[in-house]
Amino acid sequence: MELCDRSAHKLLELLRSKQVSAEEIVRSSLQRIAAVDGRPGSLESGEETEKDRQSVHAFISVAAEQALDQAKSIDRQLAKGEPVGLLAGIPFSAKDVFCVKDTYTTAASKILANFKAPYTSTAVERLQKQGAIMLGKVNLDEFTYGSSNESTAFQPCPRNPWDTSRVPGGSSGGSTASVAAGEVPLSLGTDTAGSIRQPAAFCGVVGVKPTYGRVSRYGIIAFASSLDCPGPIARDITDAALMLQAIAGADPRDSTAANVPVPDYLATLEQGVKGKRIGLSPDYFQISYMDAESGEIHQKPVQEDIRAAVYHAAEVLQRMGAEIIEDVPMPNTRYGIPAFFVISRVEAASNLHRYDGVKYGYRTPSAEDDLRVMYRKTRNEAFGLQPKLRILMGMYVSAAQYSEQYYNRALKVRALLRRDFDQIFDPLGKYRLDALLTPTTPTTAFPIGAIYGDSVLMQYADQFTVTANHAGIPGISLPGGIAADGLPVGVQLLGPDYSEHTLLQMGRSLEIGTQDEAWRSQRPALTLRW
Amino acid sequence: MTDYEVVIGLETHIQLNTKTKIFCACKADSWDDEPNTNICPVCTGLPGVLPVLNKAVVEKGVLLAKAMHSDIRMRSFFDRKNYFYPDLPKGYQISQYDLSLASGGYLDIPMPEGYTRRVSIHKLHMEEDAGKTKNAGNLRLIDFNRCGVPLVEMVTGPDLRSANEAAQYLIRLRQLLRWLGISEADMEKGHLRCDANVSIRPKGSDQLFTKTEIKNVNSIDNVKNAIEHEVERQIREVEAGNRVHAWTLDWDEEKNELRKMRSKETEADYRYFREPDLLPLDLTQAWLDEILADFPELPLERKSRFISEYKLPEYDADILTGERNLSDYFETAVQQYAGDPKKVSNYLMNDVLRMLNESGKTANQLKLTPAYLAEILKMVDAGQINTSTGKSLLEKVESSGRSPKSIVETEGLGLVSDDSAIRAVAEKIVAASPKEVETFRAGKETLIGWFTGQVMREMRGKADPKLATQILLELLKK
Ligand SMILES: [Zn+2]
Repeated sequence: MELCDRSAHKLLELLRSKQVSAEEIVRSSLQRIAAVDGRPGSLESGEETEKDRQSVHAFISVAAEQALDQAKSIDRQLAKGEPVGLLAGIPFSAKDVFCVKDTYTTAASKILANFKAPYTSTAVERLQKQGAIMLGKVNLDEFTYGSSNESTAFQPCPRNPWDTSRVPGGSSGGSTASVAAGEVPLSLGTDTAGSIRQPAAFCGVVGVKPTYGRVSRYGIIAFASSLDCPGPIARDITDAALMLQAIAGADPRDSTAANVPVPDYLATLEQGVKGKRIGLSPDYFQISYMDAESGEIHQKPVQEDIRAAVYHAAEVLQRMGAEIIEDVPMPNTRYGIPAFFVISRVEAASNLHRYDGVKYGYRTPSAEDDLRVMYRKTRNEAFGLQPKLRILMGMYVSAAQYSEQYYNRALKVRALLRRDFDQIFDPLGKYRLDALLTPTTPTTAFPIGAIYGDSVLMQYADQFTVTANHAGIPGISLPGGIAADGLPVGVQLLGPDYSEHTLLQMGRSLEIGTQDEAWRSQRPALTLRW
Repeated sequence: MTDYEVVIGLETHIQLNTKTKIFCACKADSWDDEPNTNICPVCTGLPGVLPVLNKAVVEKGVLLAKAMHSDIRMRSFFDRKNYFYPDLPKGYQISQYDLSLASGGYLDIPMPEGYTRRVSIHKLHMEEDAGKTKNAGNLRLIDFNRCGVPLVEMVTGPDLRSANEAAQYLIRLRQLLRWLGISEADMEKGHLRCDANVSIRPKGSDQLFTKTEIKNVNSIDNVKNAIEHEVERQIREVEAGNRVHAWTLDWDEEKNELRKMRSKETEADYRYFREPDLLPLDLTQAWLDEILADFPELPLERKSRFISEYKLPEYDADILTGERNLSDYFETAVQQYAGDPKKVSNYLMNDVLRMLNESGKTANQLKLTPAYLAEILKMVDAGQINTSTGKSLLEKVESSGRSPKSIVETEGLGLVSDDSAIRAVAEKIVAASPKEVETFRAGKETLIGWFTGQVMREMRGKADPKLATQILLELLKK
């Protein structure tokens, strides 16, 4: 095992006991990137090669020099015995929607390919304040619109380190791929419908979608502002807790960031699950989706080994002292995706208005006297298919004559979804749950090209994760096994507002309870080659 | 020929005089500043940054809503108004739509003709301003300074019945905004902007006919002028058998005429929805109480109180409540003086107002404080100085900042009431005027006025005339 394959908390231990230096850690990460990442995504990607098909392509840009400089400065501080931050010397990657001062922030779109922000997002700033070292920006679906990373304008798109013919998931696929491939121990992602948890499940890592408002959105290029949640991606629960500790908390620059005290996540991490009530809901073991042609509702159970992994996790937790409550009804779960289709697209279309070629970003090179023609050409030339689809639908469902039928109705559905959760978490209610245990995704990572193009089917990869975004509650995905196809399976824990500490505690218990299981020692194929 | 009735509604945009913009820390007023100097990532719509509401905007909005007798919503929302324009950097304006800060309300407009027009308020909401676009040849220049400047948009019902009423509404609104201290309300500087919706109908009808919208008018006189032009034009059209189209018209101040900007037959769809970057605005009772703790008596209420309490003529009361500082000044002076309020009013209307106009100061900036004014009035009443000395003292106090009493003393402006000094002069005059003494003693007692005049002249006006008369009578009747 190389340094770069170690967890952040293990690296911190080695660093503080002076067994390794920050420079060594960063060099190890950079070597892994050089070995497995292949060429970085770019607008002019040309033909895909065999090597491309076997590389991760997580990064859009790598800031090796700055990272090494920072590592050396942390080593100097440590040598002098000066106090350093919680994450000093630990490398991380950031999804390329997190603005970082004077560096490119592309949102994986041609329209922002040349955009350099004059400010740093709060989440990145807080990690840096704790001494974490940003190695670079990682790829994503264009403007985060997708669940596979195939829609990025910066090709080749990221691939799953467990099987490079598979997608890493999305939209934080570059983040989870970079963590799974051992390129960085930590990554910042964003989750609007499952964009942290679904790729975390696909890549066999831990992903945390915090409570809405737990982590500031300042400096993050928005998808759907009322649903977007930045959060940690890591290789284990302890690392995720460390990272959340660093980034959580109120922010005067984001008035939707909640003024709720941040607990000490590490202090409660090992407290176990004795007496915790954990629910299982049949509504989270099947997906319902509409056939795009016929309009018929199809119902499909989740992949069998995924169902088995979740039930296995329940048994482990029960063995460790938790109480498992079955048959918890979550009747509105199936409406999560249709409501998301509407709400997210209304907000996305509006959030995309500012990219008009006037102030920054791409502007059509053909000189235009007519402003409207300039707008149209700019947006037509620089937005990919996914933003265009979202603009079209968003404009449609928020138009005065349709908004009652679609947008306002979707908001009502959203309130119903929230009510489902309120009822099961109500401490005086029938179920009194501390968490709901579910599969993160209905399937394991699908092959590249298999679903892309079918936006409806693609979106159903998020059916079990989107509900937390509607309700604003926290959710984490953590590895729950390896399926028959050799790909990781994610299990999800959903809890009431600001229950991250409880969910992390349960996740840690699950890690401990499964630590001797054979699948735990399996590593992504790609990391074994080196 | 049919008699027409004019129906006018006004849409006003009021620039609040906060220090900073509504959603960022940039300076709000850029009147004297170069283009694009008061800007930041938030107000220029860079990706990823977020709006943070300036509480002072809410507080000023609440004061206006209260003054308009509107219902203040304890929970209101911000919404996005989506449209494309280069000077709107986010591609949407953050505004309030269906659940804005306040609903309903009215403003009573006393007309010079004696009647009062009640104007209903249909909309009152907070929003951010857009930037400015300027065309220079084939270039389009954009100034983002104005982006994010806090505005209250206030829309009246179609309640105004003449250009004159519209002008009076604006005069009273401007007075109120300054009175509340929430806007400079200067139309020339765009602090108060007004669009007028104008239609006509046959007298007696209660239907609303197609209206036109007049934009870009930058003074109250021009609003009045533009409406008069538009009413004449609409009457001409209707008389000629044509129909009035729902145009948007632009007022050209130099040519004194209206220009058609565009047809506006269909409403634009702004696809309003709740602004997800801001939380609902919750006014707590404690915050509301704090905002309204010092809510002032409003100008029209104060005017009628001045009439009833101080027995001022309506004309005086109107002028003295035109501006809050002036009316506070008046009232403080009346209390300090404790004499006839009309005397205070006379000094203010004649002399103090002239001083204010000439210096450009407001009443609270005068060195001639209400207490000093009261002191001068009291000295005149007590015969310590005469009226003309009193008036000349106003300027002296204002320029020196010294108290009237000390000026009178050092400059020797007081009336001499020293018995022996006056007696000496009186004796001299009596001795030097044997003929007049004889005539007086012969019975022409009215000549006493002449004697007093002589004493006063000798003493260059500084003698107390009553005392002089008394001493002269004593000497002459010996
Ligand atoms: Zn600003």
